[in-house]
Amino acid sequence: MMKNLFKGILRENPIFVLALGLCPSLAVSTSVNNALGMSAATFIVLLGSNVVISLLRKQIPEDIHIPAYIVIIASFVTLVDIVMQAYFPALSKSLGIFIPLIVVNCIILGRAEAFASKNTVGASAVDAIAMGIGFAVGLISIALVREILGAGTITIFPDGGVIRIPGLVDKPALVFAFPAGALIVVGFLQAFFRWLGEVTNK
Amino acid sequence: MKKESFLYVVIFTFIVAFIFVFIISLVNNATSERVARNRELVSAQAFLNAVGKKESEGTKALSEFSNLFGPVDGESIVKSDIDGNTLLVKQFSGQGLWGTVHGVIAVNKEVSRIIGLDIISHEETPGLGGRIEEDWFKDQFRGEAIPDGGIKVKKGEGGSDNNPDNGIVDGVTGASLTSAAMEVIVNNQIAEFRKEAAE
Repeated sequence: MMKNLFKGILRENPIFVLALGLCPSLAVSTSVNNALGMSAATFIVLLGSNVVISLLRKQIPEDIHIPAYIVIIASFVTLVDIVMQAYFPALSKSLGIFIPLIVVNCIILGRAEAFASKNTVGASAVDAIAMGIGFAVGLISIALVREILGAGTITIFPDGGVIRIPGLVDKPALVFAFPAGALIVVGFLQAFFRWLGEVTNK
Repeated sequence: MKKESFLYVVIFTFIVAFIFVFIISLVNNATSERVARNRELVSAQAFLNAVGKKESEGTKALSEFSNLFGPVDGESIVKSDIDGNTLLVKQFSGQGLWGTVHGVIAVNKEVSRIIGLDIISHEETPGLGGRIEEDWFKDQFRGEAIPDGGIKVKKGEGGSDNNPDNGIVDGVTGASLTSAAMEVIVNNQIAEFRKEAAE
């Protein structure tokens, strides 16, 4: 159980090992607060959809199982989007289009198809939590590297929660703020996480 | 009933869709007032930012907004007296790279200088074109002179532009198309201000 809970961080990290959900990880990892918001939104959608799909796994007809998953996932995404607009307008503004795009995030559909459709509700919930944590760890580490190197700051709250790193904030390596820099960072972190996984497995 | 039968699929789809749509509309109803208030607040704050009277506290911003601008009708030009100067203020919308950019722009009454500009909403790429909503970009417009040919958003060709008298502002690096779109949007607004000022 504990082992399953932490599988998402290293052994089956969705971003670095399974290479799922790369599109949002590249796009919203320009600042740490965006990564935190995106992780939280993905976590809620993942947990909700995994539990509901697992609950309905015996009722969902085989022929339309993908459309049924999409309806369930899209409903959770819409709920998260509405709640975010109402209570966290600034976050909703900065994540913009990437919240609705959680619907097509491979992590969520992938876990529904590979895990929740075949396992009990409890196991699916644990899987969702593990994958959610793994996605958060991955996304936040990409964002940390990119924001520190690319902007010289760590933004935890947009108003008043910005840590400025002396020396880097005036002359940041702009390339890390751009898509090319995102790919470079993801590549190196992927190598690092795989190495860490091998070392800890021994 | 057989799980793979046509009727089962139809009934299943209907029930699932019904339940989820029902939940979503409940939540939507419960939060729509808040969402509408947030939108109103964002546009009120944009008006205040554009004329240099930033107010982050919600209720104060709304009352200050109605004091200074009264009821604003869509994208019509509003004349407002701010600290003794008559300013022309206007909400705008225009085509960005991916979607519509909404914002507020203020100029002086001769339409020779931009007073300020703020972005209400946009659909540009977060981290690239989306940076038009960051302060460094918007602050460049504050006090910038408007040449006869309109303002220019600079791209490439090294160095930044800090001269408020030449009508040139820096574009967003990595977002040339959004920057070019902003140039067109702002110049369209300037044209409308000039038409209004000439009357």
